[in-house]
Order: sequence, then structure tokens, then C-alpha cells
Amino acid sequence: MAIPEPPPARPSPAAVPAVAGVPAFAGIPAVAGMPVRPARRLGGWLGLLPMAVLLTAAFAVPVVSLLRLGFGDGGLSFEHFRRIAEVPLYRSILATTLTISALTTLLCVVLSYPVAYLMATVGPRLRAVLVVVVLLPFWTSSLVRTTAWIVILQGNGILNKLLMGVGLTSEPVAFVYNLSGVLIGMTHVLMPFVVLPLYAALRALDLSTVQAAEGLGAGPATVFVRVVLPLTAPGAVAGATIVFMNAIGFYITPALMGGPAQTMISQVIADNVNRELNWGFAAALSTMLLGATLVIFMLFQRAFGLERLFSGAGTARSGEPFRLTSRGRSAGGVLTVVFGLLVAVFLIAPILVVFPMSLGSSPFLSFPPYDYSLRWYVNFFETSKWFNALIRSLQVAGLTVAGAVVLGTAAAIGLGRIPARWRTAIETLFVLPMIVPVIILAVGLYYLFAPTGLVGTIWGLAIGHTVLAAPYVFVTVRASLKSFDPSLELAALGLGASWATMARRILVPTILPGILAGAVFAFITSFDDVVLALFLTNIRTRTLPKLMYEGVAHEIDPTIIAAAGLIILVTILLMLVNLLVTRRRA
Amino acid sequence: MSLTQTGKPVALRGLVKSYGGAAPALAGIDLDIEAGSFCTLLGASGSGKTTLLKTIAGFETPDRGEIRIGSRDIAPVPVARRNIGMVFQNYALFPHLTVARNVAFGLEMRKLKRAEIARRVEAALALVSLDGFGGRSPRELSGGQQQRVALARALVIEPDILLMDEPLGALDKNLRQAIQVQLRDLHRRIGATIVYVTHDQEEALFLSDRIALMDKGLIVQVGTPQELYFRPANRFVATFLGECNLLPAPSGRGEIGLRPEKTLVGGKAAAADIRLDGTLVSAVFTGTGYRIAATVSGRPVTALVANDDPAAMLAPGSALPIGYMIGHAMALGD
Repeated sequence: MAIPEPPPARPSPAAVPAVAGVPAFAGIPAVAGMPVRPARRLGGWLGLLPMAVLLTAAFAVPVVSLLRLGFGDGGLSFEHFRRIAEVPLYRSILATTLTISALTTLLCVVLSYPVAYLMATVGPRLRAVLVVVVLLPFWTSSLVRTTAWIVILQGNGILNKLLMGVGLTSEPVAFVYNLSGVLIGMTHVLMPFVVLPLYAALRALDLSTVQAAEGLGAGPATVFVRVVLPLTAPGAVAGATIVFMNAIGFYITPALMGGPAQTMISQVIADNVNRELNWGFAAALSTMLLGATLVIFMLFQRAFGLERLFSGAGTARSGEPFRLTSRGRSAGGVLTVVFGLLVAVFLIAPILVVFPMSLGSSPFLSFPPYDYSLRWYVNFFETSKWFNALIRSLQVAGLTVAGAVVLGTAAAIGLGRIPARWRTAIETLFVLPMIVPVIILAVGLYYLFAPTGLVGTIWGLAIGHTVLAAPYVFVTVRASLKSFDPSLELAALGLGASWATMARRILVPTILPGILAGAVFAFITSFDDVVLALFLTNIRTRTLPKLMYEGVAHEIDPTIIAAAGLIILVTILLMLVNLLVTRRRA
Repeated sequence: MSLTQTGKPVALRGLVKSYGGAAPALAGIDLDIEAGSFCTLLGASGSGKTTLLKTIAGFETPDRGEIRIGSRDIAPVPVARRNIGMVFQNYALFPHLTVARNVAFGLEMRKLKRAEIARRVEAALALVSLDGFGGRSPRELSGGQQQRVALARALVIEPDILLMDEPLGALDKNLRQAIQVQLRDLHRRIGATIVYVTHDQEEALFLSDRIALMDKGLIVQVGTPQELYFRPANRFVATFLGECNLLPAPSGRGEIGLRPEKTLVGGKAAAADIRLDGTLVSAVFTGTGYRIAATVSGRPVTALVANDDPAAMLAPGSALPIGYMIGHAMALGD
């Protein structure tokens, strides 16, 4: 078993270029005080309309109709909630969910400090490598990651062979199908949410404050505790909040990497729909999960603002940024670097082991393989179920990208043209699909689509994926619109261009990087999704991740590893495209 | 020069624009701008000058009032059809297009033939001395060059009027002065009607045929630079445009304005029509002469005197006669 799902909120591309040393879109203030003319305003509402319709029909309606089931068929009943509160099994599942999420959050924060420190104090080239190392797990399909972890961690896996080889242990250690498996899998995927804001906070730290503390007699440890920690804490807390919010809704990772004692609330929801057919109870659990998620989201928005969710950036820096000075590192600094490098290995290892393993020729997984061949890749393309699943995934992703790009871009452009007092509310509503646990949307859409015949078609799945993906496009285009100088629009209109011509010749080319970045996110959101595919496809329409899931849940065979290798290649390719797009812009 | 154009006159009648705040941005503007003249809207920030410019351009819709360009009321005409050239404060060059494509944009919108566009773009770039820069990206140009591209882009469509919104604000002082000279020459040559917004009074004096001084959404006074300088309608105009001493009127009612260069001190004051008792505060050497600061019954008075004026040698605190000719006193209305 294996694999974390795509987290509801990946760090946006805005965060990526910021870290990579390329100017981010964020930070340039929106045009303030620019009055909105009536025609412009009408156009703004029109731009928002299509996405609003989609989100109402395929997000709000399914989620709300699902949640309603939790309160009884006829009148208002709290029967299901009473059962959750009274049955010890369910109480312990809630406790497990919170405990695992809290531990994951703690691990993410503790492990992120050394990595962020490392990123802030190395040269630009190594920093770029570290950024890729941090982000690649994030961009990689949850199934690929989980598959790789299982291969590394299982009883006869790579890690145990290594430990027994050097004599550290004589018996295989149980790393997976228990608490450590879940924590490893979840920390691995959620860490970027803390590393990136923490790195930004470190860079925003004025070096002279550190030097002032040293001049006043503080040693390295004191400087860290009294200066660095308090100044970077807001960044860490912001990241930790996002981690926790995502963690409580995790489904695939605990399902594949945990044991029965690590059952989390999402699994119980899925179980009640799939096996118990107890929709009401699943709905009651969903209500609790959604309620908790939204409360955390609202607290986050209160404390840090919505912007922070996407930019990851901290405060603007005034003086020279925190960096390594010519004095070199203290002993503690050296230790931190070593630890940071170990964490970096932890982040990249699962992705690295996939390639050599997929190139083996034996039907048994081995690392490193005894001899190399393309046998399993050939097998992948020659086996119709694999090949068909790949084609289906690409079809769904294509539909999703088209839909998400059109809706998300129109909505982003529209948002800037409506009166300012509406913007925050609409922006918040439009990013909700990134926040709400995917399992709730999956079950809700399943409930809504089942009578319509959309379940088992690529259309139903594409609609679901568009709900997940359009917010990404919306956010990335919003970000790039912030650097679009509104007088360019006025200049074009003043020179005689109609609005449509202006949009085609001036607006869209200027914000194209944002649109492309959004398209890349949309593609990956669709291409990697397992949870929606589990509920909305059947044996004839299953996508590649769903087919892999079925394989991983039983036994990992080398073709799955080859599929994982292919997906990683696609991911790296898309990451490069995204990097080039944002680079060219700068 | 193919870009010589006959500008059109502009007439504004009763323009009102409010954003819902307490004070309207435009509180009833009447203004006539002659064809081919250079008219500056001068005022502090918040005076409504930029709002007025954007209203003429069509980027803002007035609540009430009329805008006539030539014989045509342009209120119902959409921006794209107004045939108005606009130079923005930040130039607003399209960053993804080359210089030549930027300049060509308006011509392409007018569906001109390709050869005609190329010819006109070349002429426009030559006009602003940017021959050979057509293939560059706006990013590769200096601020002054970008400014000229913006000007070429606005002029190439042969606009009825050319609007400029603080176009020199982002440039450093030397460059600004150089471009002011070019701008004035250019205006003489092409004869376009130009409406120019600035908060810089020296720039306004230097460039304009007429200045409309604005405050709180109203035009306080409109006239030639000389009229505004020598015959200010009121105290606001007198103090906004150049330095001005304010002294009690000899009649005893109200105040008069007196320019420092017309303020006589020491021996010269003895022959003046009006003589007052003053006290020297300081005399500061400015190169061309001395700048005398004095007080007359508690009011500060500034005078500019020649290098050899004995008043400059007095010790601060000395008694200093102050005087002026009655013809130099400016009546300040209220």
C-alpha cells in the first residue's frame, strides 16, 4: 500500500521563483484608488460568472448535499454525530487523526529549520538545487512517492538491507504499515509548506540584527533562540498551520503506508461510502472534517491573510539579508548543515531510487538492479491496460487544463474589475476547492453524479479535476496580473484598440507566464489525482494513478515502478517548463 | 515632416466628477483650449488635475458636463474612437513589444497598410531622435528614451489632442530640463494641441502657452504664464506660482503681493513709492546676488539684490528700510 495525495494547496509558482532568486509576482501592490468604470465592472462580473457557475454546480452543490445527509433523511437529527461522540472506536479515530497531524506538523517544522538555514547560507547554485529538492516531492504524484517509500522502507526493502548489511540490526525493522510509515510519508510531502516560508523569513532577517546580538555578547545558540527564532516564528507558524490543515484530510498516505491503528478520518469516510454504504454517517464525519479545516483556514486568513497562502513570502527586508559571513560557521552551524543535508537526502531519495529500479530486468525489485534493461517500460507500453490508462489520464488532463485555464483566467481578470469591497470575499470562495479535503469533494461528486451517468466517464472526472485545478490558474493569473500595469490597458484603448483587441494583444501576452504556470499546475493536479479517480472512474475508465493504486495496494510489480519513472519524467519536464516560463519573464 | 498636424480646440463646460467622497474631484470645470496651443493643468496633488486629464481622455466618465473637441461632443464616444494621444506618467510602454511595434500599435488599430505603418513609425521615431531604435525592447532603453518612445507612440496617430500626465516626473533634473527644451521645440514644429499635467510650476512656466491653475477640483485662474505671474487672481495663485511677499495694502484693506525681485531694500527703498520699516534676518549669497530675508512688522519678506548691494553687508538684526513701487504691487482680490 502506499501514497500521499496531492495536497490541497501546493506552494504557488509565485513562491517558486521568489525562492529561486527570480522576482516573484507577489509584493507588487494592486492598483489602489483606481476607480472602476461601469462597463468595466459589468465585464468583471461576466468574467467571474463561468467559474462561479462551475464551483456552484460541481463544488458547492455536491459538498452541501453530501453534508445534509449527515443530519438525517427527514427532519434535523444529530444521530450520526451522537454515534461519533459515543462509540470509542470513532473517538479514537478522531484522536488518531489529530495526533498524526500534530506529529507531522511538528516534524515538518523541526526538519525545515536546518534545510531553510542551509538554503539561506549557501551559494546561488546549490540553493537552486535545494529548491528543486524541496519542490520535486511536492510536484510528484502521490502514488509515485508512496510507492517509492514502500520499496525503501518495507521489510525486505532498501533501508533494511542497508541496516542489516552494516550490522546495525539483525532483524528487519518495521518502518512501514505503522505510525512511522504514515509520518514519513506525510512529512515528506508537506514539508515544503514550512521550508519555503521559513526560507523567506530567514532571508528577510536583517543580517545586522544578528551581528548586533553577537556584538552585545550573544553566542550562536543565544542568537538563534533570542533573535532568529522569534523573527522567523511567524513564517514557521504560517507554514505549520497549512501543514496541519492539509494533514487532517489526508487519505492515500495513511491508507497505504499506515496500519489499522493509523486509520484517519478520511479513510473512515471512504469506508462508510464504499463498504458500509452508510452515507449519513460518512456525511457526518465529512461535516466534522470540513468544519475543522475551515476553522483552521479562517484562523490562518485572520492571522496571515490570504495572500500568504500563495506567496509564502515574509516581510520585506530592509538591510542586508541573512547569509553566511566570511567568518564561517560555528560548530552548531556545521551540525545544522549536516542535518540539513540529511533532510535534503530524505526529500529526494524516494524519487531518485525509482529510476534505477525501473531499469532492472528481473521481475523482482532490487536496488541497485543486477543488470539494466528497458524491459518494464516496454511492458508498460505494450500492455493495453497500462497504455489505455495513460491515454485516459492524458485525455482527462487535457480537458482539465482547457477548462481550468479558461475559467481561471477569466475569473482572475474579472476580479480586478469589480468593486474592491467584493474582492476578498470572492477570492476566498474561489480558492476554497484548494482547502477542502479532496475526499469530501470526491464523495460529494460521486453522490451527485451517480444518478446522472457521469460516474465512469472521463467527463465526470474532468469536471471534478477542473474544480480542483481552476483555483490554481485563478491564483497564478491573479498574481501575474498584479504586475500588469493598468495604464497599459488605457494606453492601448487610447490608441484605438477595442477591449477584445487589447486583451488579445496586450493583456494576455503580458500575463502569459501566469497562465502557463496555472496550466502546468492544472495538468499536474489532474494527472496525479487518485482520490477523485477512485470514486469517479470504473474498470473501463480508470486513469493511470488509479491503476497504480490498485497495483500498489496488492503488490508492487516492476511495471508500476516503470510507470512511476515515466510520471517523474513528465513532472520534471513540466517543472522545467514552469521554471523557464518564470525565468523568461524576469 | 509628415507629422505636422493641426490640433483641434478643446472646450470643457461644467465638468463635475465625484468619487463619492466629501469633496468632488472635479467641482465644475470650464476651460477653453485653443487649437495648437500648449495648455498646462498645474496644481498640487489632489487638486483634480489628473482626474481632469483622464476625463478628457475618456478613462473617466464625468457625472455632468460637456467635453468638445473641435466641433464634436466626445462624451458618448468610446475611448478607442476619440483619437486622443496620451503619454502616461510611467510611459506605459508594452513590455512585450519592440519600440517599433509599440509605436505601430495605434496605426495597426486604424488598419493602415503595412508600408504606410512602417513609413510613419520611422518618421515618428526620427521626430523624437530615436532613429534606429525600432528593434529594441523598451526595457533596454533609458528613462528619457522610453519617454520619447511614449511620445512617438502618442503622436504617430496624429491625434486631435495630445494629453501628457506628468511625463517628466520620473526623470532626473538635468534630463528633465533637456527634454523640456525638446518638447517645446517639438510643439512649435508640429502644432498639436497639448494638454499637459504637472505639479512643477517652473516646468509649467517654461512650457506653456496657457496655464490653468487648479485647486480642490476647480480652476482658480487660467491665463498665460505672464498673466498668472504678474496678475495673480488671488493669494493662492500668487504664492503657488513663484515666491511672493504678502504685505498689508497701503489702503489698509486686504493684502498686496510683491515679488522678491521687485522688493527694494536699503538705499533703493528710499526712492520707492511705499516705504516700510524692516529688520534684516539674514543675507544669503546665491551666486548671482544675495537673497535678503527680513521682517516687516512680524511678516517675513524676501528680496533679491545684486552682489554689490550694501544691504547684504549689514549685520543681522540691523534696521533695514523696505519699499516698493506702487505699479509692482499685485492686488490679491480677497
